Amino acid sequence: VRIPFATAHHASIAKQVIEVDRELQPQAVKRVLEVQDDVLVATFSTLTVRLARLTLNAFLENVDLVVRTISEFGADSERRPT
Amino acid sequence: MPGRVRRSPLKSPERAYLALGLEGSANKLGAGVIKHDVDGSSTVLSNVRHTYITPPGEGFLPRDTALHHREWALKVINDAMKNAGVSIHDVDCICYTKGPGMGAPLQSVALVARTLSLLYQKPLVGVNHCVGHIEMGREITGAQNPVVLYVSGGNTQVIAYSRQCYRIFGETLDIAVGNCLDRFARVINLSNDPSPGYNIEQEAKKGRRLLPLPYATKGMDVSLSGILTSTEALTLDKRFRADNQTRGPEDQDVFTPQDLCFSLQETVFAMLVEITERAMAHIGSKEVLIVGGVGSNERLQQMMGIMAHERGGRVFATDERFCIDNGIMIAQAGLLSFRMGHQTPLLKSTCTQRFRTDEVHVAWRA
Repeated sequence: VRIPFATAHHASIAKQVIEVDRELQPQAVKRVLEVQDDVLVATFSTLTVRLARLTLNAFLENVDLVVRTISEFGADSERRPT
Repeated sequence: MPGRVRRSPLKSPERAYLALGLEGSANKLGAGVIKHDVDGSSTVLSNVRHTYITPPGEGFLPRDTALHHREWALKVINDAMKNAGVSIHDVDCICYTKGPGMGAPLQSVALVARTLSLLYQKPLVGVNHCVGHIEMGREITGAQNPVVLYVSGGNTQVIAYSRQCYRIFGETLDIAVGNCLDRFARVINLSNDPSPGYNIEQEAKKGRRLLPLPYATKGMDVSLSGILTSTEALTLDKRFRADNQTRGPEDQDVFTPQDLCFSLQETVFAMLVEITERAMAHIGSKEVLIVGGVGSNERLQQMMGIMAHERGGRVFATDERFCIDNGIMIAQAGLLSFRMGHQTPLLKSTCTQRFRTDEVHVAWRA
């Protein structure tokens, strides 16, 4: 799955945030997250189609939350030097 | 209390510190900003909360609760920052609930916390939910060294502080008291707005009969699931009148949902008062601090007050702004921890459903 971001920095943030949590069934689901330019690339391999559906749904919900957070606070976070 | 007075390791800060706290372990999503001033005082700058309320007869499930938190997180955080009148640039750390609680909702809040931490380059502090309740209770009431009764929908523990650890003296062996009350509220179809426990408290005031229910203290602990089953079984009893109507002039031995609410409250609260009293006797304390959502129940505060008064002590309780799960308590406990040098690195900023109160090293107390 390829998720484009506005900048490489944002894509990297999303990768770091999502990869902290382990997959619920690490023995049945393999996940690899990487950033290519400003795109977050997630590669999943699962034992069953059902697991693929569940894993992908959860991943997309998490990505959606991170994207909305960056969208809401991203501009403000860059406005002032910390 | 016996023993020499130790000096607190927490020095007054050389400048004002600010912390943002995010809470979402159950169905309440909270965000709050707290300020620690140079004179050692703590000020609540904002405390915003939104509760996921289910229809009557239904409880809240992890998936739907997580969805609620994801929908409301950004708005609640924005409101908290606006009410506080500060920007996230100004806070020193971002505190979030590491546990205990429900997995999916906890993780949703943690994702937002991590994202904000990376966007604004602020350190993360993972906080134990129970310690958050205790620290906020101590701060608001000023209680010195009380026995803490922590009662909510997810936890029921009697806690006392000793040597940098909140030690659990007694707890529930099965379900929490708030869980017991909420599940009974579902059986009699009470509204969940503002919370099932509040509605049970109001119904109990109209009860007139005290029905016999099993009284299950086990030494310093309590067991609540048996009482719940008995109370639910009584609703199937042929003497139960759900509509509060008697069948005729001969219909004397009947009881109503209000009677059941009253009996349930009296029984479980008496049990909680007993195990609290045991802890007080054990360590010779004269103060009781009640924290957690069920702590906002005035009947519980009243019963505890009677017991404490008989022992020459007193009860401390906070109002629903701080009793019920909120973000400011996470900010408070998190900032105390942060000022003692504790942070949670991003890779360790996970959440856990089981996080014992006594696992936390309370570095900020003597």
